[in-house]
Parts: sequence; structure tokens; C-alpha cells
Amino acid sequence: MKPKKIWLKTILYAGIIMLMIGLAIPTGAATIKIGSLNDMTGATSDVGKDFALGIAEAIHYINDTGGINGKKIKLYQFDYGYRIPEALTKYSLFKRLKCAAILGWGTGDTEALAPTVARDKIPYVSASYSGHLCNPEKTPYNLFFSTDYSTQARGLITAWYDKKWPNKPDYGKRKPRIALCYMFASPYSSSSIKAAKDHAKMLGFEMGPQQDVSLFAIDTKSQILALKEFKPDVLLLTNTVMSVAAVLRDAYALGLKTDKLLLNWGFDENLPKLAGKAAEGVIGCAPWAFFGQNVPLMDKVVEYAKKYNPGIPLEKRTIHTVQGWANALGLAEALRRADKAGDLSGEGILKYGFETMRDYDFGLGVAPATFTATDHRSQSEARIYEYKNGKFTLLDSIDLKKRWPEKWANEWLGW
Amino acid sequence: MTTTFLPCGVYHENYIQDHAWWQTKFIKGKMLLLFFLLFILIPLLADTYILSICNQIGYTILGAIGVQLLIGYCGQLTLGHAAFVAVGAYTSTLLILEFPWPAILLNLGLAYPISIFIAGLMAGLWSVLFGLPSARVKGFYLILTSMAAQFIIVDFIITQYVSQIGGRGQAFSLPPGTIKLGPWLIDSDLKVYYLMILLCIICIVGVANIMRSRVGRAWVAIRDNDISAEVMGINVIKYKLLAFFYAGFIGGIAGSFWISNLAAISPEHFPWSWSLWLVGVILIGGVGSIHGTIFGALFMVLVMESLQLMVLPLADIYPKLLMDFLFIKEAAFGLAICMFLIFEPNGLAYRWWQTKNYFNLWPFSY
Repeated sequence: MKPKKIWLKTILYAGIIMLMIGLAIPTGAATIKIGSLNDMTGATSDVGKDFALGIAEAIHYINDTGGINGKKIKLYQFDYGYRIPEALTKYSLFKRLKCAAILGWGTGDTEALAPTVARDKIPYVSASYSGHLCNPEKTPYNLFFSTDYSTQARGLITAWYDKKWPNKPDYGKRKPRIALCYMFASPYSSSSIKAAKDHAKMLGFEMGPQQDVSLFAIDTKSQILALKEFKPDVLLLTNTVMSVAAVLRDAYALGLKTDKLLLNWGFDENLPKLAGKAAEGVIGCAPWAFFGQNVPLMDKVVEYAKKYNPGIPLEKRTIHTVQGWANALGLAEALRRADKAGDLSGEGILKYGFETMRDYDFGLGVAPATFTATDHRSQSEARIYEYKNGKFTLLDSIDLKKRWPEKWANEWLGW
Repeated sequence: MTTTFLPCGVYHENYIQDHAWWQTKFIKGKMLLLFFLLFILIPLLADTYILSICNQIGYTILGAIGVQLLIGYCGQLTLGHAAFVAVGAYTSTLLILEFPWPAILLNLGLAYPISIFIAGLMAGLWSVLFGLPSARVKGFYLILTSMAAQFIIVDFIITQYVSQIGGRGQAFSLPPGTIKLGPWLIDSDLKVYYLMILLCIICIVGVANIMRSRVGRAWVAIRDNDISAEVMGINVIKYKLLAFFYAGFIGGIAGSFWISNLAAISPEHFPWSWSLWLVGVILIGGVGSIHGTIFGALFMVLVMESLQLMVLPLADIYPKLLMDFLFIKEAAFGLAICMFLIFEPNGLAYRWWQTKNYFNLWPFSY
């Protein structure tokens, strides 16, 4: 036999053997298995990659510090490239691997899987922080460790109203004017709009025209010109960083002098790089600390980033790493509690894990998390930062539950 | 490549035999075995993971048949097929969620089957609309006009307007159990699997039959040389548009099928890269062959999943591999297409044809 053919055969056989082992893997059960569905190569990979790295590093940290009451977590992390068909098969693979819970990613997979995870009773901790995932009656197994988009929008508007509006020359003479810029058709962009409008109305804002700005927009001059006629005092942008940067640049170029409010996905370390001077003074909600900021546990985040991904310079790591850590640490705590109660089934993790958390604080600049059987909004506090002189500084922290307890409890759940 | 040699000792005596679907007892046996495998063995043995892979393969086949028909049989290059799949999916969804169906149709579970057909028609008509430039342009120019379908249909019409119907501002929600086919609620992977097999068989048999007809022959003539075809009296524009209609129709069915497997639908499900992926499927499977479509879909889905599974055992020893592998997987797709274009330009279907002939002629293959 020719040497080339021997090589080919060896590779083929090795492949078949590995495939057999791969198929047989689910039989072992000494560890707790967690699935992680990430986008590292697809449409949202610009932010998804850092998030995925954060998840992997956080799981290393959890295992190094005692795991889940002595049991190690085994992480199965897959890239689905934001292809929904693949997300569905990966979900089935997680089920086959008997994963106790899943760390999910964006709106696409979370929405497509929400009823399925509810049926299969698998906790799905996602990076889609939509307010309508917070009602346990509708989506009992969708969870996250962040301020939801609607609460973020309400917090931003409140913080601006408290801190910025009184300094304006027109304060007390007329109503403040607000306009909204978002992609009408994007489930992510539009998910907080209803809450934002409701909140602006409650605080007595005059609502301006809404502008449709695509998530992929590179030129937004026509929208900015339309806004200039209305002369808003403040502009709420709910798109992602690329699109937000385009709006900021055009607003700067066309001289639209207004304050800008951003949700978490539009507000990260890349924004100043993309928008330059136009990013100065923007106000955004960041439910977690920025990478490297001086908050509890950040030293570990930085240490593990260096240890496990030395190839990526620290200045390129962003808040999304911290986001990944938050979801992973939160889930680990839920697993610990459920394990202590002796029930690591999906139902047990939800009931004895997540829903026993009351003001649970795990550092990273994340507001304390609370889940109850009737309310899955983990945080009522929106932490508002301002980008000034090249730095993100904490401007205000709005606790909506404390400020409007009645509305928080009875009106604002689930949208 | 189209001639498959008959096994030694088998002779045809009339045209009926020559055009029969299953020409020998051996082929009949093979088909029965395939039937047994698809309808009994796989559903009995497969768990939900395997079934969901099968469903993904089925979706890929349904999507790729239309592309095969256009590129492989009629020679009309297209890179906008995902848009017609989207039209089908949205038509079906809207009909199920918004249309005031008479109670009798709902009770009989006919709303979904009817919506599949209407979705096919709608997608077919849109496809014809975007096929109109094929009357004037060919090749690379046609690719560009077909790409416009993605931007106009998905990025503009569906994203800006259709998604807004009912004031949702969110994806259309289709929880498992919304879709009913006759007396069955399509609420599990197994039921989706049976629906997929059924639709795949209907579409494959449909296309195979068209190819045996006057229409099919006209398409092949246009593909091989459109000027000669016109000289022979074929109305080139009519047949090209017919090809676009059929391709869109099957694309619509694919989209309509896929919603049964989803819990929610948004424009994000139909990215432009899906059209490219479908062209990749037929390139690897074999251009101008129905077998090729099936082999290509099997290859693309199975190889990706197998590579992933192969890495799992190694991840215990070297955990970082699972992460690093993500990029290798993407590269493997590109590499596979390059390798096929260089070493097997006729695709997997050609290998299948060779293997079949080898056994048919054995032991006198000379």
C-alpha cells in the first residue's frame, strides 16, 4: 500500500473512532453539564466573541474555586454563527448531552427556543435581556443577570430627567422634548420602546417623531435632519454599537445638539473608537462594570483573561467579557443552591436555585439580583454611566422598584 | 453522466420500460429498504438530537431543490433563494395566525396544508418577478439581480412592513402546537420529521417528473445553449420564468415547512448567507442532479455535526479545543467547497453514479 493511502486510512479510522466516542459521551454523569450557545463567527460576532470568551473563563474560575459544591462544571460551548437552524440542533445536542442548564445568546435563538425550553424545563440564561422574557407565567425558564431593556430605558430617562434637565436653560419654562431612534423591525431594538414611551409620558415629556435607523446603518443624515426640526433635548437610541456610532457621528457633523441615551448593547468600549469625539458626553446604561474597572471580582476577570486567552491583548477585552461572567456566575450560584437542596432537575434549579435569590450580590458592578416565582426581573436598579474625558463614570443609579413600588409590582412586568 | 448502465442481462423492450421509475426488481428492493429506513427505522431509533439533524437536512434539501432546478437544470444563476424561502415562511405564518379560517377547515386541520400551497404560490410569483431580468441578462449579472431579491424582499418588505403586521414589534410567535396537519398537532421533533419526509418526497418526485417532461427538456436545452434552444422553437423567456416559478414554489414550501420546527419567526432566520449556503450544497452534491441535492445536504449538515462530535472527546484532554475548533469548522466549509471544485467538480452525485455503474456492470465493467 502506498504511504499516502495509509495516512488517509489512519485519519479516516481515527475520525470514525472519535465520532463513536463523541456519540457515546452522554452516558457519564460525574459532573454538572452546561451548554453554551454562542455566536463567534456570525452576524453578532463583534460582541459575541468577547461574551463567549467571558463564559469560558468564568467556568474555569468556578471550577478552580470549588465548582458546584465540589462538583465540576463541564462546559459544552458551541458556535452557531447566528444561524437559527443550527441553534435548534445545538439545543437538541445539549438535551442529548443532558445539560442541566444552557447559557444562550441573542434574541434570535432565545425567541426561537423560548416555548421549547419551557416545555423541556431547561433553564436558559440568555444575553437577550428583553423585558417580555421576565414574566414567569409566559416564559418561566428564560432568565438573565442584567437589568432588562425596558428597565434600562426607564432608568435612563429618569436619570436624565433628574440630573441633566434641571441644568438646561429652558428648565421650568416648557416640557422636555424626547425623540427615539431605533430599528422598527428589529425585535431587540424595539423591545424597550413601549416602556420608554410610557415612562416619558409619565414624566411629562413631549414626544417627538420616531426615527427608523437600521442596525446596519452607516448613513443616518436624513433621520438627523428630520430630528433637527423637532429640536429634542434628549434622544434615546436603542440600537447596537455600530448603528449608534453612525447616529452619533452624523448628529455631531450636522450640529444636532442633544443629549443621547443608550441601552447596554450600544454602549461599550468600542463606541468611542467608532464615534470619536461624537461619543463625548453620551449617557448609557451598563448593568455590569466595564472591563478593568475597580469593582469586586474584576481582578479575577482580568487574571483569567490573561491566563486562558493570552493571545488577546487586555485593551481589546470589553464589557461583554464581564457580561459573560455575570451570566455564568449567576447560573453557578443557582446550581449551588439547587444542589444543596438535592434537586438538580430543571424545575429544581428554577425553584430552589434562581427563585431563592434575594438581593444576591456577586460583584462585577452588577446590582444585587432577586428572582421570585412571580417576577423574573433580576434587577430593579439601572446603573447609568456617562462617557466623559475618555472615561466611563457612574452618573446615577436608579432603583425603579424603590421609586415607583406600586407600578413596578403591578404594571411594568413583562413588557 | 445521465445514463446509468443497466445491470448485465436486463434489457428494455419498450418505451414504458425505458421510462419506468423503478426499472429492475433490485431497484424496487432498494427503494423498499429506503422506505423502511426513513419511515420506520430512523423514527424508532433516533433520539431528538438525531431527529433535529434529520430535520435540518430536510430543510436544506427542500431549499436546495429550487436552487438545483434553477442553476443545475435551467442554467439560471441565483443567489437570492433565501428570500423566497422567507416569503413562504411568512405567508404561511400570516395565514395561520391572522387569516379568519372557517371553523370547519380549522377543525379538520386543513389550515396549514392549504397555507403551504398558498405559500408556494406566493413565493413562486415573487420568484417570477425577480426572474424577469433573466430575459435580458445572464451569468454574473443575473446573480446580482437575484441578490436584489434578498435586499428588497427580506431586508425591506418583510423587515419593515410584514414584521409589523399586528403591531407586534417582535418576532411572530409560533409556539409548538400552533400548527395542525389534519388530526395531528405538529409539536414534536418526530412529527416535524414525518412532515419533512413527506414534503421532501413530494418535491423530489415532482421535480424528477418535470425533468422527464417537455418542460424539463426545454430547461436543459436552455442551460446547454439558449440560442440553439430558441432556434429549435423553445420560448426561452417563458421557460426561464417557469423555472423561476417552480424554484420559488419549492422554496416557499421549504419556508412553510420550516415554521413547523420553529417557535418564533423573524427576518433574522433568512440571512443572505443562507442562499450562498444552498448554492454550496448543490456544488458539493453535484450540479444538475437530484441525487446531488440530497447528497450535498447530507454532506453539509452531517460533516459539520460530525466534526463537532469528533472534537467532544478531545475536549476532555484539551478543553480549549472546543472553542478553537469553532473557527476550524467555518474554515472546513470553505475548504470542502474548494476541494470539491478542484478534485470532484461533478460533486458527490458523480461518485454515486460511478459506484452504481461499477456494481451494475460487475464483473464485466470493460
